[in-house]
Amino acid sequence: MKSLFHHNSLKLLIATSFLTMAVQIGQAQTPRLQLNSLDHLAAKASETVDVSIDERLIQTAIKIFKDEDPDEREIKKLVSGLKGIYVKSFEFEKEGEYTTADLQAVRVQLQDPAWSRIVNVSSKKEGNIEVYLRMLNDQIIGLAVLSAELKELTIVNLIGPVDLEKLTKLEGRMGVPELGIEPTRPKTKNEQ
Amino acid sequence: MSDDYLWDKSGEPDPDVQRLEQILGTLRYQEKPLELPEQIAPARSINPVFLLAIAATLLIALVAAGLWLMVRKNQVPRNQLAIAPTSHSTPKPEKEEIAPNKPKTAEPGAANNQETQRRPHFAKAKIPARPALSPTEQKEAVAAKQQLLLALRLASEKLNEVQRRTLAPTTPMKNQHKVG
Repeated sequence: MKSLFHHNSLKLLIATSFLTMAVQIGQAQTPRLQLNSLDHLAAKASETVDVSIDERLIQTAIKIFKDEDPDEREIKKLVSGLKGIYVKSFEFEKEGEYTTADLQAVRVQLQDPAWSRIVNVSSKKEGNIEVYLRMLNDQIIGLAVLSAELKELTIVNLIGPVDLEKLTKLEGRMGVPELGIEPTRPKTKNEQ
Repeated sequence: MSDDYLWDKSGEPDPDVQRLEQILGTLRYQEKPLELPEQIAPARSINPVFLLAIAATLLIALVAAGLWLMVRKNQVPRNQLAIAPTSHSTPKPEKEEIAPNKPKTAEPGAANNQETQRRPHFAKAKIPARPALSPTEQKEAVAAKQQLLLALRLASEKLNEVQRRTLAPTTPMKNQHKVG
């Protein structure tokens, strides 16, 4: 009787281990980042944005986009293939409210070989911005932007085919207001 | 020779007149009922009540068509009703919706206003049909849309910032001389 109990327990343990492993492998394979480790920063932040939209919600939102409006049509086209949009952004009153250790849990996920860092801009004044892409057969299936500024920490994670060019041009259109961030162009001779 | 025979057939008969009488006598009027061919038979008289009935039917049809058109013009298409909220609020400029200083929370109410503002004019008859949403779905969709736009704005802003920083000219070198 005792040996039977031990035998069943062993089976249960093995099954649980396999299940846990399968879940972990599954999570590692999706381009979705686990951002829960940053939740504690919300208490320190003066402003917090936490957007979590899965595929179902994206499809629901798409239903009220108007095809007659060219901007809405463009945004609809951009997001229609997406499987998820996840954003966490914290704005702090003063500097040093978060540490690199807070970001470690996210960085570890981005160190997965499936992710490749395409841009890394570092600045002592303005902070760092890193852009990561996850590709599958020459197609983008995930985008991650990690922006660690002095008083602001933002992580954007888009899942699905992303048109980077269109996404970049989106600022200033419709409900996506222009924030005055324009690429600096070199001055011409006349301007000098 | 008197002409009496010519006038009233009295007196001596005139052979010439008699001969003419014989010739023309065949064409003398013979009383018999008129027989018309069937093709040109006169049409049967139409009953005035029948005409009145036709006129009344036409009139009723015209009035019904007019009423239907009036109702159709004033009627909101069902799918539009489901999408556009009925409340009328002051239109809000889009720039105000998300202030330049990065507002950090989505406002589902603002989306409602935007929806109302963008409600199409009913005169535009040909509007592509959209699946109707229940009020709950509608609320969920509006909130999701706001969140979506906020997320896209942040993503776009960050990508633009990367672009700006990568394209920004580096600090000019001192003591640099023009070549040529």
